[in-house]
Amino acid sequence: MARSGKSYKKIRGIARKEFSELMHEKTFILSVLIQLFIASFSTFLVIGLTSFYDPTAMGDMELQGTKIAVVGTDDNELYNLLQESKLNTKLYSDLTPAYTDFYERRMDAIIIIPSGPPQGEDILNVEIYLPKSEIKSTLISMQLKEPLEQFEQQVRDIRTQRLSGYSPIDVNIIKRGINTSSTYFEFVYVALLPLLVFTPAFISGGLIIDFITEEYERKTMELLLASPASLLDIVSGKVLLATAIVPLQSFAWMLLLRLNWIRISNFFEILLVVTIIGLILVLLSSSIALTFKDRGVSQLLYSMILIFLFMVSYLFTNSPLNLVTRLSIESIGSMESGIWILIYSLVAAGLYVLMRATVSKNTITFKR
Amino acid sequence: MPGWFTIAKWEFFRSRLKFDARSSAMLIISLILVVLASASAAQTEMSMNQEIYSISTTEPGLEHILESDQRFDTRIVTAYEASQFYRYGDDLTIIGNNAYLAQTRKSAAAGSALENTIKEYREIVLSSYNDVNNSHPVWVTVHDVERPQNFQLLSAEETAGRLEAGTEEDEERQSTAYTNDENGEGITPDTYSSGSSFMPPEDIEELDQYQGKTFFQRQTISTPTHFSPPIPFTAILYAFLFIFPIYFVSQFYSTSVMDERTNRKGELILVAPLRAKDIVIGKTVPYLLVTLLIQAAITFYIMGIPTAFEGLKNVFLILATIFPVVLLFFALSFFGAILSRSFKELTFASVFLSVVISGYLFFPAMFTNIHAISSISPITLIVRLIEGESIMLDTYMFSTIPFYFVGLSAFAFGTFIFREEDLFTQKTIKEKIVDSFEIFLSHRYGSVFLLSIVFIPFVYMTQLMLIVMLFNLPVPYSVIAMIIFSAMAEELVKSAGIYTLFKRKLADVSLKNAVRLAVLSGTGFFVGEKAVAVLTLSPIASSAFGSVMTMGTLLLIPLLLHISTAMVSSLGMYRLGTRRYFMAVLLATIVHSAYNMFILRVILFG
Repeated sequence: MARSGKSYKKIRGIARKEFSELMHEKTFILSVLIQLFIASFSTFLVIGLTSFYDPTAMGDMELQGTKIAVVGTDDNELYNLLQESKLNTKLYSDLTPAYTDFYERRMDAIIIIPSGPPQGEDILNVEIYLPKSEIKSTLISMQLKEPLEQFEQQVRDIRTQRLSGYSPIDVNIIKRGINTSSTYFEFVYVALLPLLVFTPAFISGGLIIDFITEEYERKTMELLLASPASLLDIVSGKVLLATAIVPLQSFAWMLLLRLNWIRISNFFEILLVVTIIGLILVLLSSSIALTFKDRGVSQLLYSMILIFLFMVSYLFTNSPLNLVTRLSIESIGSMESGIWILIYSLVAAGLYVLMRATVSKNTITFKR
Repeated sequence: MPGWFTIAKWEFFRSRLKFDARSSAMLIISLILVVLASASAAQTEMSMNQEIYSISTTEPGLEHILESDQRFDTRIVTAYEASQFYRYGDDLTIIGNNAYLAQTRKSAAAGSALENTIKEYREIVLSSYNDVNNSHPVWVTVHDVERPQNFQLLSAEETAGRLEAGTEEDEERQSTAYTNDENGEGITPDTYSSGSSFMPPEDIEELDQYQGKTFFQRQTISTPTHFSPPIPFTAILYAFLFIFPIYFVSQFYSTSVMDERTNRKGELILVAPLRAKDIVIGKTVPYLLVTLLIQAAITFYIMGIPTAFEGLKNVFLILATIFPVVLLFFALSFFGAILSRSFKELTFASVFLSVVISGYLFFPAMFTNIHAISSISPITLIVRLIEGESIMLDTYMFSTIPFYFVGLSAFAFGTFIFREEDLFTQKTIKEKIVDSFEIFLSHRYGSVFLLSIVFIPFVYMTQLMLIVMLFNLPVPYSVIAMIIFSAMAEELVKSAGIYTLFKRKLADVSLKNAVRLAVLSGTGFFVGEKAVAVLTLSPIASSAFGSVMTMGTLLLIPLLLHISTAMVSSLGMYRLGTRRYFMAVLLATIVHSAYNMFILRVILFG
């Protein structure tokens, strides 16, 4: 018992030494800066996505500014649909005046309505002219999509009756006032949140490689080993520090997201998952670093494994990334999440055994 | 044989030796694993959002539709259980034909997801009938037409718009044809439709073909269901494809530079009769070549092996566009490797720099096909080249010149301090940077005037980065922050040379010198700034709009501003000493920001 107490003190000593070095070099601050940058970058993405998929978020000002020239006749069904939507349209009987107005910026787009009847046999082709390289063309395309789809549906209602054995699926979705697109919602909870909270874990995995290979490259490992600390103590101290800074940073991220009115459920469980995954990555890369002792090779190998794990997480439902998503929006029962947290802890335990094995292998070569 | 070549050869073989049998085997295994995992992940349609919405349905008929979408966690219930769905906490409950949502954002999102799923399912069912006229009766054809930009637009947009205008020959022919019709010879729908490319699809395979094209290409023909606005994010995929390998190789490169420094390993090369320049070039060239080879492979992968001369030209142009990006990555990792005192510091520096450069590349590239401003990023040019458009020389210059300048000058400053006293000592980062300025200034042609000009591209890129960083702040604050930070960047670079001269006693700390150097530095910055403006604004210089910007009495005021703010910091250093450098810069920043805010008061305070 006394033996393990001493060992713990040494481990803590090593961790403290690494921590003060980390602070001294201001690298930790730099790392926080990187993450802040990524965060501001993602906020930009969120804003971009919101405005692209949810035009109302942009405010009506920009929408009312667009005027659409419709070439056709006023008894056409598509023209009626366009009028019913919030679009600002003007009817032309001929393309030439419409084009002149488009070219002189009185109109922002031209639609040529097909003249064939819906019950006819021909394909109805809608021609759309959009201004090239202008943000307006994206806005207009977005606004046109809905009336176009309605038009398609109307024509289909008539024509699909000619298809033998086709029966349309009919589900009424009864909305309750809250309007949000699944794209935006899923971007926040499926992409943004998991990436943000796991970034510190990815960074720590790379950090420990530097902690360990540096001692070898600078030949300071021999010096450390001459002290009463064993190789296991040294590595454990480094692992401890690299893992301990993971939940701290993730916590800051989640706090930041909350300040942006993004609700996150199961705060504590998410931190637990992130810490365990951080531990897994740190243990894995410390084994790599002990084996190869070269920074470039170890970092490359670590990056490859990281990409591999990332790809694998697409393959099963409760991958760490998706587990965090499901926890944050309460889509998983506490039983199921508990089991998966246990599974990841077991993986971490297994990797700890691997790390110990690597350490003892390396200790022998050192004693000569 | 030139000296750098020997070093290059040596570097090449040495880095190959680093990969012994064991690490090569591990790398190959992990590469195979990555490929396998990616292949099987692609099978699942790459969606990470599994089982995030819970749905209860009384209709067993809907089950297979819902299960085709892995976002749904579906179960079949009785009508009684369904009616109590609040208690079961479902996001969506389907009873008969009706789908009920709860009053949460998640439920609303689930509703929108269900809508899309049903739509997709309907498309699949309809596509199984090989009868396009009845299953897909409506088609949309999109034409992008160039029209003159109006003069209220921002100058930069104007520039980029003009740059682009010349590139799309195809569209231009179209638009000039239309311009002619203003002279009375009107076009009729008949003349236009003879030129239209729309061919009604014959069967379902063609439908698939049209859909398949939309991923990498701007959609022109589709059905209303598949009609989508030009999505800005496809460009990111290209950026990733090209940037990832650069990042990896530059890591090896910076490790190799750092290797020379740990335990004074590189002392032998420094003793050898070689110039620092040769050593740096020699160490860089192998990595540069390897990266370009990888980039060429990626280009061939995307474009296919070219058969005609035209294709080969495009491949070459893509490589010419990616080259300055590689150069900048390498230059910054080189400089980072010289400055950092440990591997940890190097890792952070290189990650930080790659994130910054990637942001610079990604942000404007997202607006490819949408906004003219996107040509700031070389990635945009690459996307255009891949889409088969051509690029004018001035567009190329516009987006790559900052990369060349910053890359080459970072290499130059790094090479200045590629010497024993900076490589093998624990000097602070600040000292090392000042060292590199000192060597520049003590050169025969070096002066604070030139130093200010050299820094212009750095400031230019920094300011573009600031726009990205400050984008998410509310409007008046972001503009104020932008003004303060860019003023600070400008004042920092203008005073850096003066600081070095005073600190290293290269010039007497006298009132006369403080004034003289401030005038030189301020004028240098002004000249450089105007040179950049002329370079990027030259296409519109002949218009009335352009002449207002570059001519007239307005010129004098910025010149005076740059000189007087430089004077603030140089006099500050003269009075307070170089130890209070940052205070002096801060003072100059305040003056500079105050002036800019006065100019922009209308925008800021309405």
